[in-house]
Amino acid sequence: MKTQIKSSLRAGITFGIVTLFLYLIGFTITVSQIIQNLLKLEPDSLVLGVDALTFSFALFMGGLGFWAGARQVSVSRKGLGSALVAATLSGLVHGLIVALVAYITGTLNASGIKMNTYLSQLLPASVQLFIFNQTPAVGALSQLGFLTFMGFLGGAVSYGITVSNLFGRLAGAWRSLWGRVNDVPVIAKFRASPAFNYTVCGLILLLMILLPLRVGQYWNYTLGTVGIYVLLGLGLNIVVGLAGLLNLGYVAFFAIGAYTVALLTAPAPHGLVWNFWLVLPLGILAATLVGILLVVPVLRMRGDYLAIVTLGFGEIIRILSKSDALTFLTGGPKGVNNVGGPELFGWVFDDVGYLYLIFLSVLLAIFVTRRLQNSRIGRAWESMREDETVSRAMGINVLKHKVLAFAIGAAFAGLGGVLFAARNQFTGPEDHNLMVSINVLSAVIVGGMGSVPGVIAGAFVLKGLPEILRELENYRVLAFATLLVVMMLVRPAGILPASRGKFEIQGGGSTSEPGKEGSQK
Amino acid sequence: MATESKVHKKNISTYKIVQIVLGVLFGGYLAWRLYQILIANPVYGADTWLRFAIAGIILGSVYALVAIGYTLVYGILHMINFAHGDIMMIGAFGGYFVFEGLKNIPAPTSADPGLNFLNAHPVISVILAFVVGISIAALSGYFLERIAYRPLRNAPRLVPLISAIGASIFLENAAMLMFGAQRRDFTNPTVLTRGEGWDLPVGGGTVILTYTSVLTFVLSIIILVALYLLVQRTRMGRAMRAVAENKNVAALMGINVDGIISQTFILSGALAGAAGVMWGIHLGLVYYFLGFIPGIKAFTAAVLGGIGNLPGAMLGGLFLGAVEALGPAILGIDFQLKDVLAFGILILVLIFRPTGILGEVLSEEKV
Repeated sequence: MKTQIKSSLRAGITFGIVTLFLYLIGFTITVSQIIQNLLKLEPDSLVLGVDALTFSFALFMGGLGFWAGARQVSVSRKGLGSALVAATLSGLVHGLIVALVAYITGTLNASGIKMNTYLSQLLPASVQLFIFNQTPAVGALSQLGFLTFMGFLGGAVSYGITVSNLFGRLAGAWRSLWGRVNDVPVIAKFRASPAFNYTVCGLILLLMILLPLRVGQYWNYTLGTVGIYVLLGLGLNIVVGLAGLLNLGYVAFFAIGAYTVALLTAPAPHGLVWNFWLVLPLGILAATLVGILLVVPVLRMRGDYLAIVTLGFGEIIRILSKSDALTFLTGGPKGVNNVGGPELFGWVFDDVGYLYLIFLSVLLAIFVTRRLQNSRIGRAWESMREDETVSRAMGINVLKHKVLAFAIGAAFAGLGGVLFAARNQFTGPEDHNLMVSINVLSAVIVGGMGSVPGVIAGAFVLKGLPEILRELENYRVLAFATLLVVMMLVRPAGILPASRGKFEIQGGGSTSEPGKEGSQK
Repeated sequence: MATESKVHKKNISTYKIVQIVLGVLFGGYLAWRLYQILIANPVYGADTWLRFAIAGIILGSVYALVAIGYTLVYGILHMINFAHGDIMMIGAFGGYFVFEGLKNIPAPTSADPGLNFLNAHPVISVILAFVVGISIAALSGYFLERIAYRPLRNAPRLVPLISAIGASIFLENAAMLMFGAQRRDFTNPTVLTRGEGWDLPVGGGTVILTYTSVLTFVLSIIILVALYLLVQRTRMGRAMRAVAENKNVAALMGINVDGIISQTFILSGALAGAAGVMWGIHLGLVYYFLGFIPGIKAFTAAVLGGIGNLPGAMLGGLFLGAVEALGPAILGIDFQLKDVLAFGILILVLIFRPTGILGEVLSEEKV
């Protein structure tokens, strides 16, 4: 009983703090507006006696309170009574914390103090919404009552679901349905035959050809960005996912590709207007060479030193590219404009053309990754990642393979940079800040290290989803940072994990496993 | 087998030769530049050099505080606490809000009816700012470890590192969303006005030894000495060193390993918090991204001194501060590029002497 109360209190406090955090970063009002839009409520209309925004906000808070209560049931499975007590208690604590802050901020707001000079998201509208557009006292009390009730409700519903094993039954029904579909002889035969793979590939290819023609300029641009991130992700996937070298300065190679194409094809600052098709391989080559030059001296370092050195290197490239001292060479802080683009038989590439080019590059990258992954080199990388000492003992030339991984990763990034700069017709220092490296790393990790479909999924989640959820743009980076931590805590192998090599990242439970207390090296 | 070992040997020797050649080239260039700038055609007078040196030492003492946090954590967990710089940022915000709050409390006297608490009791205000900044940062350090690192204690190396990167970005963005993206002026008490201080006549000019720099330097020295005593002389420090040496054996000796790790994070967070408040008082701007660059540089300082080595981190911090302040002048490069210099030094140290100046103090299983 005591542990149960403790866990309820803890859950209540956690949910209270999370709610307050969401309030402080202005997420509560944003999400209320999104809910309002989703439900297609008119801003001025009344729903159940309150205005639409407040109603949406109540829905959101209710959801949180419900979750807080529902969570408690799995902890206490002793019976309906104790489950309800636990759920209500956590709801009560949650409500108390929220009500207290709602009261304080509401009162401060009512007395005309501008809190948003210090806490920039506590605008009057947001504060008013947090007390349901009532007076502070009434608002705080309604928060308390509402959250307690929702906790209770969550507990009750969740108890019902747990007892009736609803999810288990649904999953069972789904499995049996899926099994029956698979048991149909024609389908089973088709799925097993190579024709199935060809059909899927053909459909994807068809989609890739038709999509750019149909969706318009804006979506072409977005898809192109996603494509470039897939490309970068595939490159980093080789370095991090396959070879196990954490590279935080990946953007440096991207920048080198971008600057190569920019400086060699733009009229300013050098006046070299070379052909794009000539510059494309040069950009890749430059990035690769720099990758090799960087990695050779740092090869002997421990993994985490490598991360810091590459991070420093990425910053060096960015600072150099925007420094006044090198403006004559790089165009300085303003960047390079009018970067030249590709042209094929008189056809100057428009958004569709660029998208085709990006798709083509991605396909090439996927092909290269696949071939490498299943080759001798790929196996060497993976064994190196698992245990460097052992793979050295197995006769693998670790240094050579590390350089190779870095060089290939850099080449992909260089290609990405070339395409990015050419498509945007611009490149500048702020295109190449640390966030690019972090974004790509997140895509690789969220998707699943070492897995090609994972990287593609990760890039879509990371770059495509925010375009669909425009309102949440401000919270994008925060969400991915949270995702990075949460993924590491609950699913370190990613959403679409690689079939081989689950071992290294999940720990595997073996005693010889490399990371354990740094027993390696 | 024979060819394998031969290849191995050959690699090492080329590496050594490259090392020596690069070292000689770099050393020669440095000597030439020093000769140029000091004797052949001096650009700066003694006063300017002293000004650079003071700035470097102050910056260095702040780096030293942050670097110790890295070293403590690395010594025990063998992981880079990537979010350490951001904990410094949290500490700076803590101090900022204390000063802002106290500024709004009126404390009128008969001489000056418009006086506020901040200016009426500057000593109490500064102490309060440090206490609040340090406590918030220490708390963040504790929760950071509990939430983002402890569940990953036995995971492979890359996993906690990635989690730490996530935590770092999370803290930065949470601060940006909460406090806004603008840079805020850190209002000091009038006694501590930035840029004011004692005038020292040096070589034909005067060098101002500002009050804030003296405060920063003295405080950081006190904290560093206290920390050294804490780690070397107290029971808690001994337990920390034992855990750093070998977690399992320490546990067998009856040491609560989880507790010690928590304490380490609290300690390193407190140091970062103190550094953050000093940063605010001395340099005068707080913003969400404040901790990132000092964090990386402090890590550089920790590596410079030899990671896991407390005196090394202090020395490394001071050295890095000095390099950053004096380096651009000595090498004759743009002051905009001082960050490049710091990162360049990191890379050079890791190439030539990865164990740092004073050598690493890490348990054997690690090295």
